[in-house]
Amino acid sequence: MAAPQVHHLFHAPIADHSFSSDKKTLAVARENNVELYQQSGNKFALSDELKGHEKTVTSVDIAPNSGRIVTCSQDRNAYVWEQSPTGWKPTLVLLRINRAATFVRWSPSEQKFAVGSGARVIAVCYFEEENDWWISKHLKKPIRSTITTLAWHPNSVLLAAGSTDSHARVFSSFIKGIDTRPEPSAWGERLPFNTICGEYLNDTAGWIQGVAFSPSGNALAFTGHDSSVTVVYPSAPEQPPRAMLNIATRLLPLNSLIWNGETEIIAAGHDCEPFRFRGDENGWQLAGSLENKAGEARGAREESALNMFRQMDLKGQAQADTKLKSTHQNTVHTIRAHEEANGVVSSFSTSGVDGRVVIWTA
Amino acid sequence: MSQSLRPYLQAVRSSLTAALTISNFASQTSERHNCPEVEANSSPEILLNPLHISRNENEKVKIEPSYNSVRISIRIKQADEIEHILVHKFTRFLTQRAESFFILRRKPVEGYDISFLITNFHTEKMLTHKLIDFVIEFMEEVDKEISEMKLFLNARARFVAESFLTPFD
Amino acid sequence: MSQINYRTINIDALDPESSANFPMESLLPATLPQAASASDAANAATQVRQMLRGGDPEGALRTVLDTAPLGGDDRAKEVHLATVIDVLQGIRQGEMTRILEGVCSGDGGAERADCLMKYLYVKLLCFGFQERNCLMEVRGFDCLSIDYRYKGMSSAAPGSGTQTPKKPVSPQDTGFSQIQARNLGEGGGGQQMSVLLSWHERLVEIAGTGSIVRVMTDRRTV
Repeated sequence: MAAPQVHHLFHAPIADHSFSSDKKTLAVARENNVELYQQSGNKFALSDELKGHEKTVTSVDIAPNSGRIVTCSQDRNAYVWEQSPTGWKPTLVLLRINRAATFVRWSPSEQKFAVGSGARVIAVCYFEEENDWWISKHLKKPIRSTITTLAWHPNSVLLAAGSTDSHARVFSSFIKGIDTRPEPSAWGERLPFNTICGEYLNDTAGWIQGVAFSPSGNALAFTGHDSSVTVVYPSAPEQPPRAMLNIATRLLPLNSLIWNGETEIIAAGHDCEPFRFRGDENGWQLAGSLENKAGEARGAREESALNMFRQMDLKGQAQADTKLKSTHQNTVHTIRAHEEANGVVSSFSTSGVDGRVVIWTA
Repeated sequence: MSQSLRPYLQAVRSSLTAALTISNFASQTSERHNCPEVEANSSPEILLNPLHISRNENEKVKIEPSYNSVRISIRIKQADEIEHILVHKFTRFLTQRAESFFILRRKPVEGYDISFLITNFHTEKMLTHKLIDFVIEFMEEVDKEISEMKLFLNARARFVAESFLTPFD
Repeated sequence: MSQINYRTINIDALDPESSANFPMESLLPATLPQAASASDAANAATQVRQMLRGGDPEGALRTVLDTAPLGGDDRAKEVHLATVIDVLQGIRQGEMTRILEGVCSGDGGAERADCLMKYLYVKLLCFGFQERNCLMEVRGFDCLSIDYRYKGMSSAAPGSGTQTPKKPVSPQDTGFSQIQARNLGEGGGGQQMSVLLSWHERLVEIAGTGSIVRVMTDRRTV
């Protein structure tokens, strides 16, 4: 397995990151701004800043085909940024929410995007040609708390949302005139706006931190603050799921997850390293960490006596333990597929509180 | 004595490791605010079950976790009245200088001697395991400090008694 | 009406739509077992004590954790807690790791580990009071805090509260008034405490910090 590519961008938390489709441009949310980095050689250099938000930017997403960037922030606003000859131009989105916007993702069709918020609504936004602006429709019931995460189904109609009320839900976000009628699936047949296709709660009821549909869209995985990953296989509309498998781990909570094919999930979180889960409808289990820590541990042990005494003299401790053995030095917030083909991920990227973006081979 | 101190500190350490899994969270009660939820206490689902660890009735720790902050309250051992007064003076000294300690709370939680408030902004700037080390070390040191001060106090009292109350030969 | 100081009314608590009135019962899973009564817990207790006397501490611990009254009333929980403590104290230090490994493996092992962790925190919490009072303290506090959450009032946070919940058994005060009430010396239960602390340590080794995280998130109390 190739060593992960580490890009240490700055010393501040990265709330979210997104790569353009050619993987040359990287957008990261840093405090109140979004910074754009361009690849030069094997490094990323700062090329542009998207300024406009007044509070912490919580999420950023680049649409792979159109190249549009959508950002949202705790100042309750979302902007769609489009490239023009004079630079990036923001367009304000009419979100109609009165609390922080927490999470934003483009739908696979790129006609819509969804914004999660602390106002207990999800704003599904689409472009209205006649008025030339982005407007939104609200998914409201039965959300009882802040939305923390969202994920789109490949058909661009179904939307999975995780919330601090510990429920993961699947909604229909069908908008007439924008979406084509989706194929009936295990999630539902007729899907008017705000249909609830599924609502799931773990036994141990942790806040949901990450959700993802499997590449086929026929399974949903979510991870919560109870250090567990749950995979749901729906059976038929209005029926209880065929299987709901909960993997309670001995790790710290996981913040974000992606599918790699139908039988593998990669998740990362407060343990600062990505973990692999394998399984299918009959059972899932933790397969191990993707981090290769053995080499580093040996290096640490081979310290000279001189070094040890110097450490004791300077810092009053025999060994400096200010560096973690993992690649990330602090909590991982986001994990995204970097290169994938037909649902199989060949590499993925993670970003976290330590200001690093790391690209891993899956 | 110290034979039960190690498992006690170990229990506090693992509980803190589990509790300090916090991330940024904007208030869902007040617009455009971002405050420690454990203090604001405005939405019950954002708070988790508090963890209590006690070594005996005089020494205990309470950890109150929430989405973006953790409050840690410590009750320091006080075996007699002198220790009680010393602990009071000591914690007062510290809390009056709370700004320089970043994570120290100005007022301890009821029933405890000293409280820390760690928010997601602290864990973003500082290493989480180092913050835990700090709390554990504080707990170790404070006991030592108090018993040392008590010894000094007693020695001084004896000296004072001897020099002022020496009878004439 | 003029008696009420309207400035101190928490208006959020009066708004059913407010986030302060989050329905905490919605966090309980649908699979929550039927409420067990105190007599059920007592039956389980006799069975467990028999196993303990019969020299099967592993089976006893397994049974006592499997029959935990997650949905039971306070009395049942109280009886069951006493049984759990008996079992934990009936196992020798040297056997702890072996028994824990046995109990926390196999079908439902992870749930048993989480359940034991909950019991340890419940018991670690309430040390220093008489057994009976201590239970009241735990339960009373739990009920109150949940109660307060339902009403959306501020709970025990000092400084924020218009009202502070009154605990059934108040722990010692920090003020100087304590000088009279203070209990001198280490108290009797230090030994018992160190047993529970070493159980905690072993369990963390086996079940990991994830298990502590689940104690915090799980709203099904024991």
